[in-house]
Amino acid sequence: MMKRLLLSLLAGIVLLSGTAWGRTIVVAQDATWPPMEFVNENKEIVGFDTDLMKAVAKEAGFKVEFKNVAWDGIFGGLAAGKYDAICSSVTITEERKKTMAFSTPYFKIRQGLVVPKDSTAKTLDDMKGKTLGAQIGTTGFFAIKKTEGVTPKSYDEIGLAIEDLYNGRIDGVVCDDPVAALYALQKAEYKAKLKIAAVLDTGDEYYGVAVKMGNTEVLNLINKGIKAVLEKGIDKQLKTKWLGL
Amino acid sequence: MSESGTNIEITDGAAIPRKRDLGLFSAWRICFFGSVATFLYLIIFTPDPYLRIAKFLPDGILVTFEVTFASIVFALMLGLITGIGRVSKNGLINAVASTYVELIRGIPLLVQLFYIYYALARFVRVPDMVAAVIAMSVCYGAYMGEVFRAGIESIDKGQTEASRSLGFSRRQTMIYIILPQAWRTILPPVGNESIALLKDTSLVSILAVADLLRRGREFASESFAYFETYTMIAIIYLMITLILSKLVSILEDRLNYYGKR
Repeated sequence: MMKRLLLSLLAGIVLLSGTAWGRTIVVAQDATWPPMEFVNENKEIVGFDTDLMKAVAKEAGFKVEFKNVAWDGIFGGLAAGKYDAICSSVTITEERKKTMAFSTPYFKIRQGLVVPKDSTAKTLDDMKGKTLGAQIGTTGFFAIKKTEGVTPKSYDEIGLAIEDLYNGRIDGVVCDDPVAALYALQKAEYKAKLKIAAVLDTGDEYYGVAVKMGNTEVLNLINKGIKAVLEKGIDKQLKTKWLGL
Repeated sequence: MSESGTNIEITDGAAIPRKRDLGLFSAWRICFFGSVATFLYLIIFTPDPYLRIAKFLPDGILVTFEVTFASIVFALMLGLITGIGRVSKNGLINAVASTYVELIRGIPLLVQLFYIYYALARFVRVPDMVAAVIAMSVCYGAYMGEVFRAGIESIDKGQTEASRSLGFSRRQTMIYIILPQAWRTILPPVGNESIALLKDTSLVSILAVADLLRRGREFASESFAYFETYTMIAIIYLMITLILSKLVSILEDRLNYYGKR
């Protein structure tokens, strides 16, 4: 019994490592960030980033495998070598650059402020004395933490923050504008009660694919792919497909 | 109650130090002084990042305490009512109390927390802290209820019979005869459950309640110092739990002292 178990385990390992010879790059995504990356009804990870990464892989000639990882541990997992790259709406920041390497930017966003329909707020400063929610460890959360007079509240997933806003527990949510647009303008349930107050003047942000510091082999492959994708305008097609732009 | 009393062993809390454990190298001492020494060593010799982490966490520790103590108070009240309900001769009360216990014990705490937090929001608007306390107390009320029931049942039937024959009503018997005696049996497991509750409050961090664990996660997700942050969080939880278990054992001694010899 034990022997057979061991044998099948061994066979499994051999099979698994067999697939890795075709240079598979494992990419982590926190699939709770629609429309950039999320899990659809068929339990597949889909979204703009997912499609983009697939296109990058095709252009650069490697196989890609996705792994769904919770956001607040996603960078720790990269450092620990649990996967090769993160393509999950990661804004390139100076702080993050100290602990990981980034590909060339592939997408530009800003922070969006979602509020209830009857709110008159236009900027973060209008939210003084109020409670704002954002996903833990995101640039949106860093932005509200820096705003004086605002009580920041961090959530595990942006969807939970939006639900709390919908239920009236908090006064606003800050997140990347494509995500804000999806929740406030497209989801039927939220559309009736929420709106985007403003796209904030916290500056342009650029998404990049993060890889472990010093992993130039993977980084070069991904950069090569991104270059081809941008040149061919595949990112524009994906924007139309996922963001309706 | 017999001289030795009845012990109810529930071990999901922390080991409550016993008298016989008070040797120099008892598990409690090793853990406690070990964790304090490690804590001090880390913040003194590697203040970056450990001191920074330690400075970031206090308000989270406060929230953890607030949620814990509020939940213990409500869970004790719920538990007492449930425990009495479980031994009630009234069929309806008994059924309600038993169903509540079965229902709660059949659902993982994490699921209950999510459920109560988001389900509640559909009907009433309560702050997140209140929702967290409600969820924790509803859950632990059921566990405490079982402790109370066991404590009440550990009192010899003869006590009730004697009390009833002296003209006490059922209620008076419970309040004046049974509960004061059951309390000593109940206290250790209640202390244990309270410590387990404190540890389980770490689950409320998923409700965006800014407790110790969430504050730590916020720090880690910004600084990427995952290992260091979780080390600090683990040490702090350990120190708090050990102090509490010591307090419970002292309290237990005080309450037991007139019952001995």
